[in-house]
Amino acid sequence: MRKHLLALGATLALAPCLLAQKIGVINSMTGPEAPIGENITNGIKLAEEDLLKKGIHLQLVWEDDTGKPQISMSAMEKLATRDNVVGVVGPYTSACSNAVAKLAEKYKVSLLIPSAAKEEITRQGLQHVFRMNAPADKYASSLIDAALSLGKAKTIAFIYENTDFGTSTSKTAKDYVATKGIQVVADVSYPKGSADYRSTLAQIKSKNPDLVFMVSYVADAILLMRQSREMGLQPQAFLGAGAGFTTTEFAKERAISECVISCTQWTDDVNWPGAKDFGKRYKTKFGKEPTYHAACAYASMIIMAETANNAGGDRVKTRDGLKAGKWNGIMGEVKFTDYDGFTNQNNHQMLVQQILNGNYETVLPKQFASKTAVYPFPKWK
Amino acid sequence: MAVLLQSLISGILIGGVYALIGIGLTLIFGVMRIINFAHGDILMVGMYLTYIIFTWLHIDPFVSVLITFPLMFLFGGVLQKVFINRVLNALAQNQILLTIGLGLIMSNTVMLIFTSDYKILTTSYSSASIQVGGGVSVSTPLLISFLITAAITAALYWFLLKTDTGQAIRATAQDRDAAQLMGINVKRMSIIAFGLGAALAGTAGALISPTYYIFPQVGGIFTLKAFVITVLGGMGSVVGATLGGVLIGITESMSAVYISSGWKDVVVFVLFLLVLLFKPSGLMGKSRT
Repeated sequence: MRKHLLALGATLALAPCLLAQKIGVINSMTGPEAPIGENITNGIKLAEEDLLKKGIHLQLVWEDDTGKPQISMSAMEKLATRDNVVGVVGPYTSACSNAVAKLAEKYKVSLLIPSAAKEEITRQGLQHVFRMNAPADKYASSLIDAALSLGKAKTIAFIYENTDFGTSTSKTAKDYVATKGIQVVADVSYPKGSADYRSTLAQIKSKNPDLVFMVSYVADAILLMRQSREMGLQPQAFLGAGAGFTTTEFAKERAISECVISCTQWTDDVNWPGAKDFGKRYKTKFGKEPTYHAACAYASMIIMAETANNAGGDRVKTRDGLKAGKWNGIMGEVKFTDYDGFTNQNNHQMLVQQILNGNYETVLPKQFASKTAVYPFPKWK
Repeated sequence: MAVLLQSLISGILIGGVYALIGIGLTLIFGVMRIINFAHGDILMVGMYLTYIIFTWLHIDPFVSVLITFPLMFLFGGVLQKVFINRVLNALAQNQILLTIGLGLIMSNTVMLIFTSDYKILTTSYSSASIQVGGGVSVSTPLLISFLITAAITAALYWFLLKTDTGQAIRATAQDRDAAQLMGINVKRMSIIAFGLGAALAGTAGALISPTYYIFPQVGGIFTLKAFVITVLGGMGSVVGATLGGVLIGITESMSAVYISSGWKDVVVFVLFLLVLLFKPSGLMGKSRT
């Protein structure tokens, strides 16, 4: 057995000189976005290992954009002209991805964006830009669809921070509920960092909404839920869109986070092929839970590398391969299609999760669920 | 009606803590004529102190006030002795620069040690409340902190009015030179006043921490608030700061309900401007000639 491995190792070691596919990676490895960028780096490293096992050799060219669009753009110029890569995976943030997308089109290099949310990126008819994750509008619609499939909600209250992120997410949600015939009874924005949301929540409580839709970051999410409990705000469901409701810190606050519904691109308990295994291996290798960014980056690198390999390193064939291909892996079925004004957008299935016993459990859609949803929201104790 | 009552109660309870922050600032100003721009950062230090005591020693934030108060008093006293005393007779802009600088050092040191991540204290009563009937509920942690605030304020009034040291502090505040001529050690009074101011800010930080979140830059929000409160109440007036704090609490809470929570700061500042327009020395302030 060992001899076989050695022989295999020897062939593998010799091969890359000839066949290695040169692929660029742009990621936020330092700077304020680095904590999330790290997940993307790890996901890609794991993909590199797995590809090697399949006999696909990669020569990755790593570029750090420090979270700044202008640096991201110069990285893309360098990758496209000097390094002559077949394709590029990245960048992380929406701002960087949007800036780089136009350059990818200019140099005719395929760009596969793993996890940037801004809708506009794949709405510009760019032929060389592909996106793995579901764009921002899906967050709102999948949460509201989930609530409607669980019960008969007639009214909804919105509470969100008055930043670009909060207002745009809740605006998409408001447009969506209008098409579903749900009445908006309260629509409140708050300045980030207020100590006291009690009066706002009292106002919402007096309207007695069926659903409460919140968009907040971590600290505000915890405060909002604490004060909702204090005030005895009792809707049929709390829907948490945005970063604050999908963190382990939030889930740990069991007295207030239990049964809150949120949504995500990926979980490690979903039954997509290889997802559970990916979660396990990631934890052993890096010592922490993978986020959806890691999974998106992993799947993106696998797809980009396989396509580039099949195309023999040709840029045009790689692009056509990405456009025509169909994959099934840890992100479920992946296909880059044109729909609703999007171009080369993977119509990714968002997963709706609920915090049950302090853990995030996938509850919808049914075929991917690990637990049954608790609905309506239990009475505060 | 329930909504009105609810927001009134929340406003008064929050206002109590605001008052504590304001009293600290006004005390320092009264005695030394120095505007302490590091006040919010001192409050932030109090918050982190509470956080450390809670996570390492597992002492309840409200109980830990007993530790925080004296520690912050010492901290304030040292700040006064080492830094502030040296600029007492300097130009106003130099004093401002000094306190701003001290604040920056505090927040950046804390950021180096604890990173800029938000910290949240979770106690058994963090989201508990008491139902008072009519659909109105009172937040337990806020109620406790209000009661502690009230007790501290009462003790402070007694200290300033009845004790010798308190009277000496007030004398220094009224006229520094005359007080010195009467044999009062004004430098010592300054140290006590700054220590007390810092202790009050630190205590306010401790009292807020179970219901708020903690991060190194939190001070800025409270420095601004402390200013509005003290100027509204009249610079140097302890009664004014108490009144100003409660007034700001109620205004914020009411405007969040009846106008919009995004506009509550605007309402507070409009009110502030109106008071200054009609009563330039503040609600309780006596203009000095």
